[in-house]
Amino acid sequence: MLYRDALNLALDYAMEHDPRVVVLGEDVGFYGGNYRVTDGLYVKYGPKRVIDTPIAENSIVGTAIGMALMGLRPVAEIMTVNFAMLAMDQFVNQMAKLRYMSGGKLFLPLVVRMPQGVAKQLASQHSQSLEHFFASVPGLYVFCASDSISAYHGLLHAIRMDDPVVFLEHVLLYGMDFPSEYVKNFDPFKARILKEGKDITVVSYLKMVHDTLKACEWLEERDGISCEVIDLISLRPIDFETIYESVRKTHRLVVVYEAPKTLGLGAELSARISEELFYYLDAPPLRIAGEEVPIPYNRKLELMAIPTPEKIYERILSWSKSHGL
Amino acid sequence: MSVYLAGAKAMDYEVLMPQFSDTMERGKIVRWLKKEGDYVEKGEVIAEIEAEKAVMELQSFKKGTIKRILVSEGQEVEVGKPIAIMELGERIEKPKLEEKPKLEEKPKVEERKPPPPPKEIEKEKRIELPPGFASPYARLLAKEKGIDLKELQEEGRLPSPTHAKDIEEFEKERYFTPKALELLREYELSLEELLKEFPNKKIDEDLFLAYVEQKGIPRRVPVSSVQKSLISNLSKSFVIPHYHMYEVFDLSLIPWDKEITLTHWLVKIVGDAMQFFERLRAVYKEDHYLVYPSSNVGLAIAVGDELYNPVIKEVNRKSLREIAQEVRELRKRAEEGKLSLEDIRGATLTISNLGMFGIRAFDAVIPYGQVCIIAVGMQEGDGKTHMTFTFDHRVINGFHGALFVKHLKEKVLDKNYIKMLKKGA
Repeated sequence: MLYRDALNLALDYAMEHDPRVVVLGEDVGFYGGNYRVTDGLYVKYGPKRVIDTPIAENSIVGTAIGMALMGLRPVAEIMTVNFAMLAMDQFVNQMAKLRYMSGGKLFLPLVVRMPQGVAKQLASQHSQSLEHFFASVPGLYVFCASDSISAYHGLLHAIRMDDPVVFLEHVLLYGMDFPSEYVKNFDPFKARILKEGKDITVVSYLKMVHDTLKACEWLEERDGISCEVIDLISLRPIDFETIYESVRKTHRLVVVYEAPKTLGLGAELSARISEELFYYLDAPPLRIAGEEVPIPYNRKLELMAIPTPEKIYERILSWSKSHGL
Repeated sequence: MSVYLAGAKAMDYEVLMPQFSDTMERGKIVRWLKKEGDYVEKGEVIAEIEAEKAVMELQSFKKGTIKRILVSEGQEVEVGKPIAIMELGERIEKPKLEEKPKLEEKPKVEERKPPPPPKEIEKEKRIELPPGFASPYARLLAKEKGIDLKELQEEGRLPSPTHAKDIEEFEKERYFTPKALELLREYELSLEELLKEFPNKKIDEDLFLAYVEQKGIPRRVPVSSVQKSLISNLSKSFVIPHYHMYEVFDLSLIPWDKEITLTHWLVKIVGDAMQFFERLRAVYKEDHYLVYPSSNVGLAIAVGDELYNPVIKEVNRKSLREIAQEVRELRKRAEEGKLSLEDIRGATLTISNLGMFGIRAFDAVIPYGQVCIIAVGMQEGDGKTHMTFTFDHRVINGFHGALFVKHLKEKVLDKNYIKMLKKGA
């Protein structure tokens, strides 16, 4: 099933079973969504539940917060994470704090969905990965989906929660076809072990998971290095326990993410591992991440700015060699 | 050999896994001699392929540029499956500019070949520090195992910084002789298990063998790819509707010696006899038989633990001496593992002789794709020899079989014929 269809199915299911669920955002209605995620919902549920908004991100999120406080369960779509910057005040000062400041009396069953990441030559203002912006704010939940299974179940879970969730997708994943299955008792707070291994623990999320799996396949085939690949669904809170358990076994950690290396999510992960499992480590943790530049428009430079399967393979291999694996 | 891919560019051509022999079902890429982007002329060798019991060279049927390699070295695929994609045509001088991707294009997860590790990785050295450094986990291990890291680092027996793997290696060398390590891998036992069993003791071959005997641990013997194909073919042979004929032959007239053995004689006599019975030169296909003009006789040859089934072609046109020479060459090639596919295909009948081991009589399994096997027993004092014929009933019915056996019995007692063969040799 296509990733976008999995999201569409989750929205459709939620709207069908709960009349309080509404969708709002730029072009989500009549046009069917910029990435066709809300395709067909307008026809089925009408303009009262699938709401086309003006191009005003701050208002979209603000309105959604209002709706949620008054008893609806809105799912807002921001066209891409780059435009969510305009709504940062709503995210950080309202969404994240209202439940806390009301002593738990206010409910905020709200989801804000948006894609992020490098697609193909959309230039710096449309290619950022900003998960750490949201994942660093107490009071928010941040989910992301790397395939159709986590897209469908993760989004449904987010809609059912009474807390605000920022739901991150990846532009390049929308058109990808993944196996889909119904998972009973799906838990977005539990990281998924996509591949078992014994030498290195490799943690990743969103699209980088697939590049990582490819690189790890090569490492296994060509160099006999066996990697355990872990996919994070929730970026706040992070399921550290699963990662700890894996590192206790492999004694080595690699984190792969698309955002720039400095102060990205990998910094948090390797710091935690160093704090908690210092004596279990057989090598310093390694981060494979984007370069410290705005994403270039030129395709060659664009690919140089982010990890690719080849790059991940080479980095892990040379790191293994210099640290005695 | 080729089909055009739907959706591919009109000039894309699929290189398929070829079928080198009638019974070949799968082939393994041993080595690619060309890489992606290489230009190949028609007839140029592009890859080495292992099938059944031999390594063959795959030549390109077309000229063009190899665009993508789909099956990497060491992988096995079925016959007829694409293994590479070529762009046909003359050598392309200039690389084409990438086409601009359309906005709503479905991104494909490409099956890319692993990148060759760049030279700097190949040269990548591990970090070296003065004695006294180790990873936190290596320190933990050293403490557990009672190893003095600093001392060993100063002696140069452990690198600095020390990692977990170095300690494992050191443990191996400290407690195991090289031979015992080899056995450890062969029996797939864990290092820890043995170290626990024999604390602070050097484990050598004898100790190890005594341990596995006491515990009754089986040894793992890998099956070579040659044997794998043989075994799978044998299982297929058993679904052939077959039956046996038992007969005692008088071979006292055959003047065999060390130079030209009884086996060589039998190959010749049987090959000549096959000329009178075309069903014995036939291969069964669903709705027809393929009848070969000449007699191609296979021989079951054991080399070490392996069994080979090379073929002597056109036996009816060869002299005894030529046959003997050819069998010796085939055996030599089998021993060196250099039998080509040409050497092992095309037989319709095989002879298996176990007489030299004193076996009186036995029956044999028809090699897959053939119609008959003759199991030759020991020649007794009076020249009497038991031979068991196994026939494929779909090709040879009892009547055919009986006539063939009768004909053979007459041939081995035909003085003139034997004399003529001897002269011809």
